[in-house]
Amino acid sequence: MPDCEETLRELDSFLDDELSEAGHDAIRQHLGGCPDCLGAFDFHAELKAVIAEKCQRDEMPSGLLSRLEQCLESEGLPSAAPVDDRTV
Amino acid sequence: MADPATFAEQAMPFAGQLYSGAMRMTRNPADAEDLLQETMLRGFRGFESFTEGTNLRAWLFRIMTNLYINRYRAKQRQPVLSDIDDVESMYLYRHLGDLDAVFASRSAEDQLIDMFPDDEVKAALEELPEIYRLPVLLADVQGFHYREIAEMLDIPIGTVMSRLHRGRKRMQQALYEYAMARGLTTAPSADTPREARSNDA
Repeated sequence: MPDCEETLRELDSFLDDELSEAGHDAIRQHLGGCPDCLGAFDFHAELKAVIAEKCQRDEMPSGLLSRLEQCLESEGLPSAAPVDDRTV
Repeated sequence: MADPATFAEQAMPFAGQLYSGAMRMTRNPADAEDLLQETMLRGFRGFESFTEGTNLRAWLFRIMTNLYINRYRAKQRQPVLSDIDDVESMYLYRHLGDLDAVFASRSAEDQLIDMFPDDEVKAALEELPEIYRLPVLLADVQGFHYREIAEMLDIPIGTVMSRLHRGRKRMQQALYEYAMARGLTTAPSADTPREARSNDA
């Protein structure tokens, strides 16, 4: 089982879901018995979720979707189902 | 081989995510719209090279990332690597106690979502030098895998990981600094509930 130092070194890869199944399980096993490391992992998992949520919230300029559709149509794309800007 | 006639139908649902990505890259709505429009045009023109059943979102983000890099890279300031290497790992986590003191909050850890307003989180990301900003944007906001990011940015996976690590710690330091500045300038007293100051956000 990895020690605290080895566990913290894998924090990014663990939270990014980039470890092998065995690697992932080994970290989980350590976290199960180590409140200190678990606290750090929990914090960073939550921070990652907060960043993802807050950096996705952008209101599109009004009419943007229609302009995109027009732009594609002028390239010869057959008109798709109409997009309603208000639903975005 | 993908049928160009179905491009709009398949690609338009990603317009919102692509626009947010473009905003974090270009940092202003006019350039973001141009970048998004150009991405959709390139996607449409090259749609025959897209393999049906593979990840269209990743394919579109790859086009957008490449366009952004080719068009805007020259304008970017150069990153100062040593400044970021000086930042300790898990910066925010290690300094939570300071934030607790400023916000008179006992459980800052449980209130991360309230502690940092949208604008500050966006600014912390947007202020990262481009070589860190793109990996953090693609991994933390868009949820792509290291392998996909390595392909989009045309860099080795090890480089993706080190840039992500550096970018994240610098971003944490920025979030900490914003929160401290906000807390200190609003001069919270011990009897002011956090909710009462949330309008500052």
